[in-house]
Amino acid sequence: MTEPVISFDDLSVSFPTDDGMVRAVRNVSFDVEPGEVMAVVGESGSGKSVTALAAMRLHPGSTEITGEVRFGGRDLLGIGEKEMRRVRGNGIAMIFQDPMTALNPVMKVGAQIAEMVLTHDDVSKKEAWTRAADLLESVGVPEPGRRVKQYPHEFSGGMRQRAMIAMAIANGPDLLIADEPTTALDVTIQAQVLEVMKTAQEATGAAILLITHDLGVVAGIADRVVVMYGGRVFESGSADQVFYRSQNPYTRGLMSSIPRLDAPKGERLIPIPGTPPNVLNPPSGCAFGPRCAFASDGCHEAHAELMSVGFDGTHRSRCHKLAELPDLFAAAETR
Amino acid sequence: MTNDPTTLPAHGDPVLRVDNLVKEFPIQAGLFRRQVGLVQAVSGVSLDIHEHETLGVVGESGCGKTTLGRTILRLLEATSGSVTYKGESVSGAPNSRMRELRRHMQIVFQDPFASLNPRMAVRDIIAEPLRIHGESRAVASARANELIDAVGLLSDYGNRYPHEFSGGQRQRIGIARALALQPTLIILDEPVSALDVSVQAQVVNLLEDLQNEFKLSYMFIAHDLSVVRHISDRVAVMYLGKVVEVADRDSIYDRPSHPYTQSLLSAVPVADPNAERNRRRIVLEGDLPSPAAVPSGCRFRTRCPIAAERCSYEEPEMQTLADGHEVACHFPLSPGESLIEVAAARGR
Repeated sequence: MTEPVISFDDLSVSFPTDDGMVRAVRNVSFDVEPGEVMAVVGESGSGKSVTALAAMRLHPGSTEITGEVRFGGRDLLGIGEKEMRRVRGNGIAMIFQDPMTALNPVMKVGAQIAEMVLTHDDVSKKEAWTRAADLLESVGVPEPGRRVKQYPHEFSGGMRQRAMIAMAIANGPDLLIADEPTTALDVTIQAQVLEVMKTAQEATGAAILLITHDLGVVAGIADRVVVMYGGRVFESGSADQVFYRSQNPYTRGLMSSIPRLDAPKGERLIPIPGTPPNVLNPPSGCAFGPRCAFASDGCHEAHAELMSVGFDGTHRSRCHKLAELPDLFAAAETR
Repeated sequence: MTNDPTTLPAHGDPVLRVDNLVKEFPIQAGLFRRQVGLVQAVSGVSLDIHEHETLGVVGESGCGKTTLGRTILRLLEATSGSVTYKGESVSGAPNSRMRELRRHMQIVFQDPFASLNPRMAVRDIIAEPLRIHGESRAVASARANELIDAVGLLSDYGNRYPHEFSGGQRQRIGIARALALQPTLIILDEPVSALDVSVQAQVVNLLEDLQNEFKLSYMFIAHDLSVVRHISDRVAVMYLGKVVEVADRDSIYDRPSHPYTQSLLSAVPVADPNAERNRRRIVLEGDLPSPAAVPSGCRFRTRCPIAAERCSYEEPEMQTLADGHEVACHFPLSPGESLIEVAAARGR
């Protein structure tokens, strides 16, 4: 077994707010293996983005953070800011939802990519610009030689997203963190960007940590999936395990509440009742308990532990009723 | 069931008829806001919506679907074309009559955070349209309570304020307000896009239940094709201000005739890893052209894999195909024909 690219080990993140402490991430542990696409799925307030931002140490100073994020043999939470800056961009690069947050609006696109190249490699400025054009070409930007001299506002949304991906892969990072990379894009552009991400990954061999709420995007690109809810990991496993053999009431509920393109006419959606938990005042016991069809008294008293499903340890789920779930799911199907 | 075609009137006048509707916005520049150009956001759209029917309107950003909804209700004044409600001209109605007509035609907006007055209690928000239309405070309040119940909120929520509610609950409040005047037609503009996945399904089911209970007609505007297929009886696909294809919901999804419809459908990610592994996705080249500089001829031709010379100078008229699809394309795809294969056969 190879070393994971990144390991989240018992990570907890809390923010002080005017209304009290928000415990956004609670005891999250998972690994990302080299070259794989790991998707972290969840709804608003699930803690998925906070988990990713903690890895980049992009959180406000008042944040309370415990646990470890191991990358390249050290704990990223314990290293100095200077060392962390070297990790960002070289070791780990980030793709954001809104490319304008990552691109400098008053700097030519080529200059921004060349700057990335220059911080890492000892090459001439001219060479860096040539590399910038090559990178733009590799992510499917037409006429890269002309495009490097343009400003971000001269790029369309899809092209900006490509420019940001080019910047992210400029120094051959081991890990790309993509936070809702396609959420703001139209479906035809989204298809292009996902294709570019796949190509970039194949070319660089980087692992991708994809943060998204879109199960369709996950199905198309992810090797493994972590499902988060109320700040905790609720289920993790291969894409097939989570999509086809889920052993978690929340994951199941999420899957059956999305309308499918191939659904027969007149099929009614099965929503999850209630709303995602209030981060300031989470329910006691299992965070999903108040919305769960299978919950009983014990579920509201304590949260369940994340347990292995099956024998090889690749599929894990957090549910008090894990042993009974196959029967409960079967009974719910026939109802 | 909402989508049972037998409940749809096969004949009769539509509830809403939109005929060749155009909405232009001026592009202004400079100190004196001189007009330097025109954007045709809606460019000659014709549509019918029948009683108890849901017409889905899909398209990408900038296709004009939101402007279409607002122009129909005269929240924006049309540049030309006509809108008729049950045979009566909406476009030509004087203000006093328009106020009456708005009783019958309501709208629900996308953003449940921006569309509710934060300083009003929920009951007053829902009762406001009734008060405006001259109902007494007591009557309006009693009706608001009924509506709070009808959209699945607890009765004591009436005294609370919007900020106390989640997105899904706020959207229910917006829907209750739209129902207050007992409309026959509701324009739903991206009503579930801002909601979490697990909550979307609740609101979609609610909309279906309310449609059955109150015999409503819906125009469901959205970019999410899966939701649109789920709720619609017929679907209209828009591209750069034009409707490019209209057909029954199953038919348009199973046998899309317009190259754009087929590309759009093939781009939608499906939450099924096996289906995703096996599918052949049509990845359209390039970006949406600017609505301020639309291509000549067919507006889709710059991205169309099978565009021919004719497409660059002749704008395709809407035609009705043998299978009932209305499509604006010089080279519509036959049932079962795949855009990828047709493009390959033409050496592209």
